[in-house]
Amino acid sequence: MRGLRILGAIGLLLFAAAAFTPLANNLNAWMAGSPTLERSDAIVVLGRGGADTDGVLTNRSLRRVLRGVDLYGDGLAPLLVLSGSAEEIRARATLVRGFGVPAAAIVSGGPAYTSVEEAEQLRRLLLPLGKRRILLVADPIDMPRGRALMERVGFIVFPAPTAASGPSQPESRLRLGCDIIIELSAWAYYRLSGSL
Amino acid sequence: MASLTLATIVALTSWAAYLVATRRIGLRRSELRGAATEALAYLGLAVVFLLVNLAVGTGLILGLRALTGHFISVYVVNDATLAILSLLQALVLHCWRERPR
Repeated sequence: MRGLRILGAIGLLLFAAAAFTPLANNLNAWMAGSPTLERSDAIVVLGRGGADTDGVLTNRSLRRVLRGVDLYGDGLAPLLVLSGSAEEIRARATLVRGFGVPAAAIVSGGPAYTSVEEAEQLRRLLLPLGKRRILLVADPIDMPRGRALMERVGFIVFPAPTAASGPSQPESRLRLGCDIIIELSAWAYYRLSGSL
Repeated sequence: MASLTLATIVALTSWAAYLVATRRIGLRRSELRGAATEALAYLGLAVVFLLVNLAVGTGLILGLRALTGHFISVYVVNDATLAILSLLQALVLHCWRERPR
């Protein structure tokens, strides 16, 4: 009983800290690091969450692809590489064409469902073309793992995280807190399995 | 601002509930501390259920991936409904435990 009370108190404290303090925002910004927007061979937009059955991208996938379009518009690279599941790539390609990115500048990897698969697909796609310097677009919390995986397969990575300040609403902060815990678990899993 | 608004709402309704409980329903003020401690135990039980649900869910997904070769995203378990269902599981077990054996 005493153990349960202590666990309950810890749970309550974590809930309060995640929802009502900037803890999750600070962790988010810390994990994002500083963006390095250098001219590169390609802008790589990593997949996140896929698309619904009606082809609508998830919030995070949409944020990433918009960031990619923005960087392309700034002329930081001649190629916009879209990664993710088959549905996600299709929905993203339709979207970026709608934003006026020419079809010749859009490159898609094969469908990939995990970060390791994505890194491998992108290695096979870009390195033989001599495209080694990449601007990597990912959420702030996914950047450390995404960057490490890309560097491991041979890319020179310049991080371009999506907005790093994080949300201000308690519910969104709570959601971000959960995502951070999951991302740290994924990082630990990749380390243990030798993928990192 | 949103945090402050929510905290104010909850503080006001908690104060109102305290007044109703002590003046209308006749609950004793001295028992409030014990009730809060018991609520912590209930929350602890919910945390246990949540952790077990997450571990079982992740294990099942990784196992199915390995056995079938079919991809299932681990992010499936990152769903708020799992936390609510864990609270429900804990509530049922908590109420069950309170009943005569």
